[in-house]
Amino acid sequence: MATLFAALRRLYLSIYNWTVFIGWFQVLFLALKSLKESGHEHVYNAVEKPLLLAQSAAALEILHGLIGLVRSPVSSTLPQVGSRLYLTWGILWSFPEIRTHILVSSLVISWSITEIIRYSFFGMKEAFGFAPSWHLWLRYSSFLVLYPTGISSEVGLVYFALPYIKGSEKYSVRMPNKWNFSLDYFYLAILALGFYVPGSPHLYRYMLAQRKRALSKSKKE
Amino acid sequence: MKEKKGNLLFFFFFFFSCRPLWLICRRQFTKEVTAKKFYPSRQRLTLPVPPGSKERPVVLNYKKGLKDYCDGNQNNITVVFKDLGPQVSYPTLFFFEYLGPLILYPTFYYFPVYQFFGYKVERVIHPVQTYALYYWCFHYFKRIMETFFIHRFSHATSPLSNVFRNCAYYWTFGAYIAYYVNHPLYTPVSDLQMKIGFGFGLICQLANFYCHIILKNLRSPDGSGGYQIPSGFLFNIVTCANYTTEIYQWLGFNIATQTVAGYVFLVVATSIMTNWALAKHRRLKKLFDGKEGRPKYPRRWVILPPFL
Repeated sequence: MATLFAALRRLYLSIYNWTVFIGWFQVLFLALKSLKESGHEHVYNAVEKPLLLAQSAAALEILHGLIGLVRSPVSSTLPQVGSRLYLTWGILWSFPEIRTHILVSSLVISWSITEIIRYSFFGMKEAFGFAPSWHLWLRYSSFLVLYPTGISSEVGLVYFALPYIKGSEKYSVRMPNKWNFSLDYFYLAILALGFYVPGSPHLYRYMLAQRKRALSKSKKE
Repeated sequence: MKEKKGNLLFFFFFFFSCRPLWLICRRQFTKEVTAKKFYPSRQRLTLPVPPGSKERPVVLNYKKGLKDYCDGNQNNITVVFKDLGPQVSYPTLFFFEYLGPLILYPTFYYFPVYQFFGYKVERVIHPVQTYALYYWCFHYFKRIMETFFIHRFSHATSPLSNVFRNCAYYWTFGAYIAYYVNHPLYTPVSDLQMKIGFGFGLICQLANFYCHIILKNLRSPDGSGGYQIPSGFLFNIVTCANYTTEIYQWLGFNIATQTVAGYVFLVVATSIMTNWALAKHRRLKKLFDGKEGRPKYPRRWVILPPFL
C-alpha cells in the first residue's frame, strides 16, 4: 500500500512539474519573440494566458506542502507564491495601464528562466530519480542573478502602478458601512512594498544557505 | 554591554509615558540590569538527552537536590546548560503589553487623530462608542490588576524577545480596533444589540475573574508552580474555562460594536488560546494518568464546548 502511494505521488508530481515547465517555457518563448518582433509594450499581451495559468498553478504547491506531499515548508512557499500571485493578479491583471511598462519584460523573463530550471529539475528527479550535476548547479546558482532582477522588477512594477491603484479605487471599501470596515488597496500596496525591505535579503540569504548545503552535499556524494 | 543599552532606552521611553506607574517599572528594571549576566532565571539546566532521541530533555527543578537526578551513579552527573537569553519577569511582560491598549484606545476616542486620516475634526459620538471605551479600559485595567495581585505563574520569566512580539500583537490590534470603533463615520448597531453585547461581555469578564481566582488557589503562594486538576465552577466541564470566558467576553464586545477589525482580533485570539488550551489539556492528561496513585484526569471539553 505504501509503495502504491509512493508510486502515485511520483506520477502526480512528475506530471505536475513537467506540465508547469511547459507553461513557463511558452512564457519565455513568447516573451522573447514579442520583444524582438513588436517591442516591450506588447510582451504582456503575448504571454498573458500561459503566465496566468502557470503562475496560478503554483498555488497547488502550498497544498503539496500542507499535506506533506513535498518536503518544502509552507512557511517558505507561502510568501514566495503569495508575492507571485499578488504581482500577477493583483497588479498586472488588475491594472492594464501598467502592462506596457518595460519592467514587465524583465519580470517575465526573470520568472520564466527561474521556473524553467526549477520545474525541470524537480521533473527530472521525480520522473527519472536523478538530475545531472550541471542541472543542480543551475538550480542553485541562477537565483544569484535572477532574484535581484526579478525582485527589482516586482518592486518597480508595484511602485509604478501606484497612481493607477489610487485613481481607480479598485478593491477598496470605504466607510460608513454596516460592518464598520474599510480597505484601501493603495495603502496595502505600499505595505506590500514595505515587506520587500526585510523580505528580500531574508529570502536571498535563505537561498544562499540552501545553495551551500545542496552543492556541498553533492560534492560529498 | 550593547544589549543592556537597548534595554535602557526602551525602559526610559516608558518611564516618561506612564508617570503614575513608573515606580513599578523602575523596580523591575533595576532588578534586571544590576544582576550579573547569567542570572538564574536565564539558565536552563537539563539532563543530557541520548543522541537521536526525540524526547524533550528533563529540566532540573531548582527546588530539588542534585542527588535526586543522580540515578544511582553518586560520583558524577552530566548537566547541560542552556542560556535562555535575556529574561523579563512575567508581570513586567504583561504590564507592557496591556499598557499599549490602555493608552492607545482612549487616544482615538479623546484626541482629534482622525484629522491626520483626512477627516474633519467635528464628530458625533454615539453612546455605544463611550460604553465601548469604558468596557475596553475596564478589561485591560482588570488584566493589569490580575497580573500583579492574582496570577501565580508556572515560570518566573519569559525571554525578552517576547516583549517585542507580544507588544506588537496587543498594540497593533488595539490601535486597529480603536481606529474603527471611534471612527467619525462609525455606524452603531441597535440599542438592544448593544445592551446584549456589553451585558453578556461583562458577565463573562466577571466569570473570567472568578476562574482566575480558582486557578490562583490551585498553586501555593511560595511560587513553586506545578499543576493540579482544576475544579469548581466552569472548570468541571471545560479544562481552560478561563480562556473560554475570555473568548466569549470579546464576542460580547464585538456584538456590541460590530467591526470587522474586532472580529478579526477575536478569531486570532481564539486560535492562539486554543493552541495553549490543547497543550494544557494534553499536559494535564499526561500528568494525571491515573497510575501510581495519581488521580485520573476527568473527561472534559478542552476550550469551546461543543466544538472542542
